[in-house]
Amino acid sequence: MITPLSPARDPFAHRLQLFTGKGGVGKSTLVAALAIEAARRGMRPLVVELGHRASMEAVFGQGPIGYEPHDLGRGVSAMNLGVEGALADYVADNLRLGGFAKLVLDNKALKRFLYAAPGVAEVVTLSKLKSLVEMRKADGKPCWHPIYVDLDATGHALMLLELPRVLDGLVGAGPLRRLLASVSDLLADSDRVVLNLVTLPTELPVQETLELYENLDREHRIQLGRLYVNQVPSEPLTYQALSVVDDLSEAALRAGDVELGDDIALGRAALRRFGRVRDQLKRLAARVRIPLVELPRLTTGEVSLQELERLGRMAAGEAA
Amino acid sequence: MSDEPELGGEATTASRRANSEQDHIQAEKFLSEHELIVCVGPGGVGKTSVAATLALEAARRGRRALVLTIDPARRLATALGLDGLDDSVRPVPTDELLRYGARIEGRLDAAMLETRASYDSLIERLNGAGESTRRILENRVYQAFSRTLARSHAYVAMERLYDVVKSGEYDLVVLDTPPTRSALDILDAPGRLARFLDDEAVRWFLKPRFAGGALSRLLPTGGAAATRILGMLASRQLVEELVGFFSVLWHLKEGFQERAEEVQRMLRADSTAFCLVCSPSRTSLWDAAYLRDGLLERGVPLGAVIFNRAYVPRASDPSRKVGWATPRDPAQRLGSIGLEGRRVSEAMLVLLHELAKLRQDTAAWNHVAQAATDRFTERLPKDCLNVRLPELSEDPRDLIDLLQLSRALFDWETRA
Repeated sequence: MITPLSPARDPFAHRLQLFTGKGGVGKSTLVAALAIEAARRGMRPLVVELGHRASMEAVFGQGPIGYEPHDLGRGVSAMNLGVEGALADYVADNLRLGGFAKLVLDNKALKRFLYAAPGVAEVVTLSKLKSLVEMRKADGKPCWHPIYVDLDATGHALMLLELPRVLDGLVGAGPLRRLLASVSDLLADSDRVVLNLVTLPTELPVQETLELYENLDREHRIQLGRLYVNQVPSEPLTYQALSVVDDLSEAALRAGDVELGDDIALGRAALRRFGRVRDQLKRLAARVRIPLVELPRLTTGEVSLQELERLGRMAAGEAA
Repeated sequence: MSDEPELGGEATTASRRANSEQDHIQAEKFLSEHELIVCVGPGGVGKTSVAATLALEAARRGRRALVLTIDPARRLATALGLDGLDDSVRPVPTDELLRYGARIEGRLDAAMLETRASYDSLIERLNGAGESTRRILENRVYQAFSRTLARSHAYVAMERLYDVVKSGEYDLVVLDTPPTRSALDILDAPGRLARFLDDEAVRWFLKPRFAGGALSRLLPTGGAAATRILGMLASRQLVEELVGFFSVLWHLKEGFQERAEEVQRMLRADSTAFCLVCSPSRTSLWDAAYLRDGLLERGVPLGAVIFNRAYVPRASDPSRKVGWATPRDPAQRLGSIGLEGRRVSEAMLVLLHELAKLRQDTAAWNHVAQAATDRFTERLPKDCLNVRLPELSEDPRDLIDLLQLSRALFDWETRA
């Protein structure tokens, strides 16, 4: 099921772990589960969400989660990296303006301009991630490790990666150029940064994942970690049971037992779904050269932290 | 709504209808009373299928319907006649549906929104096709703006929508919005660009332009510190291109503003309804709750909530959910269908056991999904339609699958 992992690709080794995938594939849940597992292993995980509504509030039933890392209990912290906060940090940290910094941020006109200018949001976001990676406690140990970043959608990840290219030629030799160079270097730093893909084992998400993977593999220097496939069903009927499905079906039909007929139809539909899922997994395995991690479908409805713990152990590569 | 295990009763009574008669009547009203239905919802919930189903059903009832979609699965795109590369409107081939008992009395068209092309055509529409338009399209700031800024996509979607709604060619337009967590952008976006242009920031930037020589005038203008920052942040060239971009937008400002107001009016008209599509999964419901509250906060009447893949249906009657089974002795069960003695193998008992487990798991899933969607609907306005669609055994990939969804939603066979 799970490809043996090279140490370089376990989800705890790299400090900055980016996660990308189409909306609705379960990135937030996965990131929460991995963070719980990292904390269980004695690390100091930080979950970073970018500007959107903080899903971790719902997962952990805690909040509100703002720009400052918030302790969610269980050794997990989370923050919501919004552009406004990142911009303030960026101006304060990089432009060495002293008292001017506040002046700049208080200038509504300039602020509006910075929000609207292409790439600014991405630059300051990357800049903040970089400082989170480098932040150390008084004893010299890293403040956060690992940092799990839930990139909102596939487009977002590509936008961050393509930023230097988009801005190339538009940016002179100033601090922005230096910053762009340094964040590009960070993203390409295979010792510290890894990009993970998350998907579902159905046609459209798989197709998108393959396209994204091939794009990343071909065009970008970022190190790829693992491909997580959520909601993989287990085999619904054993081989032994399968051998007599037709006999049972025939008897049920003859006896006019609609309920049993429905149950058999349920079994057959589950089998077909299982087969389609295996086909999609094969499709992924044939074209993707990073480890594939299959995760089960969780029950729907209310979140349970026990379930997340279990998912975290599985995502880490342990048996359920 | 309770569907606790009914251990003592007949097993079949535990499988309830997913939607009531009243729900179906309300669903019909919802469809017939509106000219524009905007489907919003989190990603991965089958929003495109639901949007296409609504348009298909309207077409079946004799209306001229258009579905504007974003990103359909490949097979569905093919089924909708959308496998071309551009974003033009195409008729959906519906002849095949006759064989499945559905005569399309009206017309069904489909188009796929392509943001970049839409932006370009918007600029052309507002600015004409001349040299200055070419300059905008080549401006790198414009390119970055139109290509990479997800938040501007909503604006273009609204533009495109406005055009088709006002063309008078359709009785119903169903819009499938981009699956972002910020789907509320479609409400905020039309005003945002216009407001942005009205902002002092842009005027501040453009003033020097009109006085000739962008950078020369920038320096002595107010906020000297701000100007210095900009010089430090970016190159002279970036500033020049930005100023160029803004001055073009400024020039088109009135067109934008007028249009933005019209779009806002259209979105809030009585003939427009918002339809929230989500699935009963945890994350989908979180995102949907955020959208629901956001819509209500903005004073947008939420017309319907459609829970897609909300229950696993019984094969013999897709309008009913798979419910709990009464535990029965396997040998007796087999005996009741004439399988006795030597005809009962070990494998048969294993199969029965596995089927029973699958059934209970499915009923449990249905039960939890029902509870989750019930909790969600508690916070809906009274007059908001809420209906549940079955999980088909495969993701809808052609019109026949959509027909199945439509049958579950409108129950048009039994109510014909």
